[in-house]
Parts: sequence; C-alpha cells; structure tokens
Amino acid sequence: MTAYLLNLAQLAAIFGLLAASLNVLVGYGGIFSVAHAVFFGFGAYAGAQIALNVAPDVLLVSAAGGLVAGVLSLALALPALRVRGEYFVVASLGLQMVATTAFTEAEPVTGGLGGLVGIPPPQLLGLSLASPWAFLAVCLAALFGGLAVMRLLMRGSFGRSLMALRDSESAAEAFGKNVALLKTLAVALGCAIAGVAGGLFALQMAFVNVESFTLDQSVLVLAMVIVGGAGTLAGPLVGTLLLLLLPAALSFLPGIPPTEIGAVQQAIYGLAMTLLMIFRPAGLAGRAQGKR
Amino acid sequence: MLLAQLLVSGIQTGLLYALTAAGFALIFGATRIFHFAHGAAYALAGYGFVFAVRAGWSWPLAALLATVLAVGFGLFMDAFVYRPIQRHTGSFFTVFVAAFGVVIVVQSGIEIGFGRAFVAVTSSLTRASAVLPGLYLARAFWIALGAAAVLFGALGLFLARTRTGIALRALAENPDLLRAYGLSARRLSALAFALGSALAVPGAVLGAATTGLSPSVASHVMLVSLAASVVGGIGSLRGAAAGGLVLGVAENLVVSVLDTQWSEAAGFVVLFAFILFRPRGIFGAALAR
Repeated sequence: MTAYLLNLAQLAAIFGLLAASLNVLVGYGGIFSVAHAVFFGFGAYAGAQIALNVAPDVLLVSAAGGLVAGVLSLALALPALRVRGEYFVVASLGLQMVATTAFTEAEPVTGGLGGLVGIPPPQLLGLSLASPWAFLAVCLAALFGGLAVMRLLMRGSFGRSLMALRDSESAAEAFGKNVALLKTLAVALGCAIAGVAGGLFALQMAFVNVESFTLDQSVLVLAMVIVGGAGTLAGPLVGTLLLLLLPAALSFLPGIPPTEIGAVQQAIYGLAMTLLMIFRPAGLAGRAQGKR
Repeated sequence: MLLAQLLVSGIQTGLLYALTAAGFALIFGATRIFHFAHGAAYALAGYGFVFAVRAGWSWPLAALLATVLAVGFGLFMDAFVYRPIQRHTGSFFTVFVAAFGVVIVVQSGIEIGFGRAFVAVTSSLTRASAVLPGLYLARAFWIALGAAAVLFGALGLFLARTRTGIALRALAENPDLLRAYGLSARRLSALAFALGSALAVPGAVLGAATTGLSPSVASHVMLVSLAASVVGGIGSLRGAAAGGLVLGVAENLVVSVLDTQWSEAAGFVVLFAFILFRPRGIFGAALAR
C-alpha cells in the first residue's frame, strides 16, 4: 500500500510539473496548445536515451529532456507566430498527430510501439535514488523548483508582458512589446519544463512508450490545467491531484467492472470539463469570473 | 495502375471527408461557433446505424435513425452547451474545451456500449469490379460520388435560392441586421446545426458499411473536418469540400511512398504546411490579425 501511494505521489509531482508548464502557455500566454504530450515525450525519450547510454543521473537526464524539448519547441512556436485562436489549436492538433506517428515509427530512437525498456534506477551525483522516498523527494524538489521559477518569471516583466499579449496582442504590440520574441520564449519555457517532467517520468516508470504521449495525454494535461484553473499558480496542481486520484478512487467504487474503469473515468472527466466550462469557466481555483 | 487505384480510393475517402467538413463549415459560417464536437455527431450516426442494422432494421430505416441521432446531437450541442457558454464569456477556448469534453464522453460511452474493437455492417458495397484493366471500383465509390453530388447541389441551391438559405448566409454576415429584419438568429443557428450535423451522416453510414468504425472515429473525424476546413479556408463551403478532397487523396497517395501508418499523418503534414504558408486556405479571405 505504501509503495502504491509513493508511486502515486511521484506521478502526481511529475504531472503537477507538466500541468504547470502547460499553464505557462495556456494560462499566461493564451497559446492554446493541444500538443503538450509531444514535448513531454521528447523529454522522456531524450532522458531515457541518456539514462540507458550515458548515466541515469537525475540532473543529467532532466537537463537533456529540457534541452531537447526546449529546442524542438520551435515546431510549436512557428505556427503560434503565424496564427492565433482556433487556427492554432488546429495546428497543434496536427503537430500532435504527426508526432504520435513519428514516435511510433522512429524505432531506433524511441523503440516504436514496444518502447524503451530497462531504464536503470535513478542516481544523483553518484548516490543511488532507488529508494522511492528519495526519488519522491527529487520529484517534489523539481516540482517546487519549477513552480518557483515560473512564479518569479510570471510576476516579473516577462510574465506581465505575456499576459498583456494574451489579453490583446495588438495593444501589447502598440506598447512596443516584441510579440514574436515573447511568444517564442513562452513556448520554449513551457516546453522545456515539460521536457524536464518527461525525463523524470522516464526514470520513474523505468519504461517509456508512445502510449504516454498521445492526444489523449495532451487532453488529460489540458484538462488538469482547465479544471484547476488556467492562469493561476495553484490551479494546475489542484487539477492534477483531482484527475490523478479519480481513477484510484473509481477502482474502490462498487458496481463498475474493472475493464470499463478506463472508459468510465474518461467519461467523468469529459463531463467535468464540459460542465465546468458551462458553469465555472475560470476553473476550480480561478476567481469567479466577471466580465473580462 | 497502383497510383490510379490509390487516387480513386483517395477520392472516395475525400468525398466523404468533404461532406463532413462541409457540415462543419456550414455551422461555423453561420454561427461563428467552432464546433469541435462535429466528429461526435459522425460517431453517433455511424454507431446508431450499426446498432439498427444489427437489430434487423432495413437500411433506409437505419439511415433515418442515424440522421435523427446526428441532428438531435447537433441541436443538443447548440441549445445546452454552446448557447449557455456564449451567454457568459464566449471565449473560443471555453467553447473548445466544453466541446472536447463532449467528444470524450461520447467516445467513452461508445466504448462501454460497443467495445473498443472495430464494428461494421456486412454489405456488398465493397465488392469491386474492374472498370479498366487493373483499376477496380467498388459500389461504395459510386454511392459516395452520388451522395456528394446530390447533397452539394441541393445545399448550393438551398443557400442561393431559398429565403431560409439566404437568411443563413445573412446570419454569417451581420446578425444584428438580420434581427432588425425580424428573423430569429437563434432559430437559424439551430437550423445550421441540424443541417451541418446531417451532412455527417452519409460519411458515417458509408464508413460503417465499408471500412468499419471504432470509438476513436469521433476524434479522427473531428480532426479531419477541422483540417479540411483550414486547408480550404475556414467558413467556406467550397473550401471545406476542396480541403476534404485534398486530405483524402493525400492520405491515400502517401501509401505509395511510405508505410500505411503514415497515411493519417500525411493529412496533418498538409495541414501544417497550409498553416505556416497559407493560413487563409485555398478559398479563404485574408485573416484579420
């Protein structure tokens, strides 16, 4: 039981970081990406390769994950500079679909459908982190470190400019903000942190395959941000906890055949998304919204 | 001849995409609502059809049930999801998330009811006959061609000639002026949803009778009609039709160079290229930035 709870706590910290990184794009930048699992995946594959071929060092793995995802985030920044709103959502959907196929087909790097297996237990500067408590501490440190960085940046000039851009792109441009640079940086920041989360995820699971980086995952992460409340610091964490604990809670409910749990869980969070948007579009942690 | 064969099956897929995407474009053009849940109407129609045929209904009756389901779903979305949201904020992202939630609910509902595997109805529609040496055409091809021709013709006439059709186009241009003329914008938007959702039915029925359906068809069709609309130019019926054809053909032609796994991705590469280099699509007007 303890092992199960520890495992869940590690995943919650990793997904909390992932959801918070998407929040930079969605909540602060107004860049509505449905391709976040792609960058989580880039980070996870890069991290897994480093762990398999170089050393399973947490710092090294997360740095590699963040770097790869951050650099490849240009694939998302380009359409973000060209189009907005619905068009961008569609573009990111397209990116997600192409990336899913690429992950499946690029077997030498990603292991294809079988994935990359046998990732060694994590270390930190030579110390073993095989104990789940130690790895949980690392995940929590990454989560709170990431949150601190994001809070600092979002409170400062960068975050304010970004929010100005979200609320009115032309007004921000008229005030002399460099829209292209701001958007590119926001995308790079969000995706790089998603890559770090991906690296940790690879170490946590000791196994990665394409199943974790599909459109469903992107939507799940998006739902975490939205349900919790986009554009708030606590929102993504609240959403992550709710949506990760949901399947665990459902498995204790009587009357649902175990084979249908996945579908029931999907239906519940789909319904929650729709109802929230109708009745409380700012999310659970968001301010009850007046006119924007 | 392989190329010609792929082209033909691409056209068959493309025609059905074109009809579905035209439904999406009709709804967006009239109401300015980005109906992300359009694919769910397709899925409901397809599975409704399969259910009815399995229950021993005749095909026309089953197709009727499929139409009722699709239209009912469209009207439901308009009345109970989009309208309440537009009453308070109406930001497009709120609409997107709500619609996506509905897609997930429909998809998992289908998974619970029908299982995750492919379902199909057995028919003779896929039986192909050679029209040229080495080039085979299934009956489904002619049905797709006929349905597309009839429906696009009827839709064109309806939008150009009838009072209601003109009112629908006016709704897109200027809703306030429309109200000043004493027409109900609400009733027209319901009509747009009903018609648009009904346009997904031929694709769904033929899909069930040829390639089969799986629960993820809702999101696949949603993606395809979105992509077709963007490629063609958002809100333009002609554009959506052309976009659907382009995507269908691209998906099939790519098989001649790459593995079949890439066929879905090919459509999105086309989409991505359009977004980067010609975001207003083939027929679209210039985007206001």
